[in-house]
Amino acid sequence: MTQKIMHAGDGIHASYGEAFAAFAGSLPAAEHAARAAAFDEFIQHGFPDDAIERWHYTNLSTLPKQAVRLAAAAALDTAPWQLGDCDEFIWINGEPQGAATDAAGLPAPDAHAGLAGLHRAFARPGLQLALGAGEQRERPVHALTISTAAEAGEMTHLAHRISLARGAKVTVILQNVGTDGAARFITQSLAADLADGAQLTLIRLQDESRATTQWLQTDVNVGRDARFELINVDFGGKLIRNDWRVKLLAPGAQTELAGLFGSDARAHLDNQYEIDHVAAHGTSRQFFRGLGFGNSKTVLNGRVVVQRGAQKTDSEQSIANLMLAKGAEIDAKPELEIYADDVKCAHGATCGQLDDTAVFYLRTRGVPEATARALLTYSFANDVIARIAHAGLRERIARRITAALGAELDLDALSFEDETVDATGDAL
Amino acid sequence: MKILEIENLHAEVGGNEILKGLDLSVGAGEVHAIMGPNGAGKSTLSKVLAGAEDYVVTGGTIRYQGNDIAELSAEQRAAHGIFMGFQYPVEIPGVSNMMFLKAAVNAQRKERGEKELEAADFLAWVRHRVKQMKMDPAMLSRGVNQGFSGGEKKRNEILQMLVLEPKLMVLDETDSGLDIDALKIVSDGINTMRSPERATILVTHYQRLLDYVQPDFVHVLAGGRIVKSGGPELARELEEKGYGWLQQAA
Repeated sequence: MTQKIMHAGDGIHASYGEAFAAFAGSLPAAEHAARAAAFDEFIQHGFPDDAIERWHYTNLSTLPKQAVRLAAAAALDTAPWQLGDCDEFIWINGEPQGAATDAAGLPAPDAHAGLAGLHRAFARPGLQLALGAGEQRERPVHALTISTAAEAGEMTHLAHRISLARGAKVTVILQNVGTDGAARFITQSLAADLADGAQLTLIRLQDESRATTQWLQTDVNVGRDARFELINVDFGGKLIRNDWRVKLLAPGAQTELAGLFGSDARAHLDNQYEIDHVAAHGTSRQFFRGLGFGNSKTVLNGRVVVQRGAQKTDSEQSIANLMLAKGAEIDAKPELEIYADDVKCAHGATCGQLDDTAVFYLRTRGVPEATARALLTYSFANDVIARIAHAGLRERIARRITAALGAELDLDALSFEDETVDATGDAL
Repeated sequence: MKILEIENLHAEVGGNEILKGLDLSVGAGEVHAIMGPNGAGKSTLSKVLAGAEDYVVTGGTIRYQGNDIAELSAEQRAAHGIFMGFQYPVEIPGVSNMMFLKAAVNAQRKERGEKELEAADFLAWVRHRVKQMKMDPAMLSRGVNQGFSGGEKKRNEILQMLVLEPKLMVLDETDSGLDIDALKIVSDGINTMRSPERATILVTHYQRLLDYVQPDFVHVLAGGRIVKSGGPELARELEEKGYGWLQQAA
C-alpha cells in the first residue's frame, strides 16, 4: 500500500510539481507555507481510486499523468451564457472578469485528503459573497465559470464562499460551462455558512465541454431554523464528480435538495449527496430525477445520517430514473444511517421507461412519436425544473433538454409564464 | 358515403385473440353505439381503430373513407381525422393543455400539408371551445389532465375533440365516471360535432349516455363479434334484460 502511494506520488509530482512552483511564485509570501503543506498532502495521498468506498464508481487516479499547467486567461464573448435579471460574476479559466475579490482564507473541503490538498494548493478565489444580518436580496447572484482549453492538460481551480448572517436571504446561480477544445481538469469548491434563520437557494447548472473532468465539492452548514435549498442540474462534461455535504447543525434546520441529470453522450457523472442531521428537529428532503441517454453512466448516492442527538428528524428521499437508451446506465443508491430512535425517514427509488399508454395518447392526437417521447421526457424533468423561480434559466434548461432529446418541441408554446392565457378567458 | 367499413376483423393482444370476425359499417352523419359486457372487446375495437401498436390485426380489413388504414400509424390516422376519446385519459404534468393542443393541431396540419395556425387565431378558437365545455380557461396553462377529476378529464377529451375537428369520433366509455351535469356537458359537446360529413362511435357499457346522444344504430359486441344490431330501442332492451340472454344466443 505504502509503495503504491509512493509510486503514485512520484508520478504526480512529476506532472504537477512544475505547475505548483510557477503558481506559488505568484502568491503573496504569507500564503506560501499553507499552500506548500496542501501540495504535500496531495503528493502524499494522490487521487482517490476505486478502492475507496466513496469513489467506488469514479476513479480519478486514471487522470492523465502528463505535465499539467494552469489554464491561461482567455477572452471570449460571455453574452450567450448571461442570464439577465441577475448580478453577474464571471470567471474565464479561473480569471475574474472585472474586479478580483480577496478570499477570506484557503478552502478546506471535507473530502479525500489528496484531492482536497490539490484544490487547496491551487485554488483561486471564486464567488465571495457575504450578506449581513437581515439582508435579503431579490436579485439572484449569478456566478458563471467558463473554461476553454487550447492544449490538453490545462487545469483550473476555483473556490467559492457564501456567508449568510442571521436572517439573510439570497439565491445564487452557479453555472459551470465550457467551450469545445482540449482535455482539461477543473476543481471547484463551495463553502456556505447559514446563520440562524438564513435562507440560501443554490441553483447549479453544469454544462461543461465533452473534454472536461470536473470535481465540485459543496459544504453547507445550516444553522437554527435556517434553510438550504439546492437545485442541481447536470448535463455536460466527460467525467463529472459532485460531492454535496449538508450539515443540519441546529434545531429546526432544513434542507431540500433537488437534482436533475442527463448526459447525452459517452459521459460519466457521479453525484454524491450527504445530509448530516446533527441536531434535533431537522428536516431534509431529497428529490432526484435522472435521464439515461446514449452510453452515459450515472451514479447517484443519496446518504442521510441521523446522529444520536438528532431526535424528531424528518427526512424523505425520492429518486426516479428514466432510461431512454439501451446503452445507458444509472446506479442509484439511497443510504440511511440512523443513530437516533425517534425519527421519520422515508426513501423510494424507481427506474423505468416512458409509459407506452402516454406515448399512445399523444400519438392519437396527431403528435409524432419522437415528439411525444420528447414531451413526456420534458414532463418528467419538469418536476425539478419547475422549482426554479428564474424564468429565463428555466427556459434555458428546457431548451437544453429538448436539444438533447433531438426532437422539435415548440417551446414558445410551453408557456413558461403563459402570458397568452389569462384567467378571465377573454380572447386577446 | 361510408366513413368506416370493418370486415371480418380479427385482432389480438399479447397473443390472445379478442376480436373474432367483427363487421361494422358506419355511414356519414351517423351515430353508432357499441354496447356489450365487460371483456367483449369494446376497448380493443377502439384501440385498433386508433392504431395502438400492441394490438395486432391478424385478419380482415378496416377501410376509412374508402381506404385501408392498416399501414397508417396512430398519428397519421389522427391527421386523417380519426379521434379516440380515452376511457382513462393520461396526465402529463408540466406540459400545458395549450401547448398540447397546439402541438397536436400543428402536427396534424403539417401531416396534411397545411400551414400552421396563427397563434392569436388559435387561442380564440380554443377559448371558444373551453367556454362551450364550461371549463375554467385557466386550465389551458395547467398541465394536461394534471390533478383533474375523472369528470374534468372526460370534458378535456371532448374539448380536444372540438379543437381537432375529427371526421370519425370513437369515444371509449367517455360516459363512465361522470355525474349528471358533466354527462350533459359532454353529451352537448358530442352533439355539436354531429354533422352530415362526420360519424361517431360511442362505446359504452350503460344506456344512460344514449338518453343525451341519440344513436342511429345500436350494436351488441360479445365474444369479439357484433352479435346483434338494431335501433335506439335495442339499448333500452339491454338496459332491462342485461347481456346474459345475448351471450347465450351467441
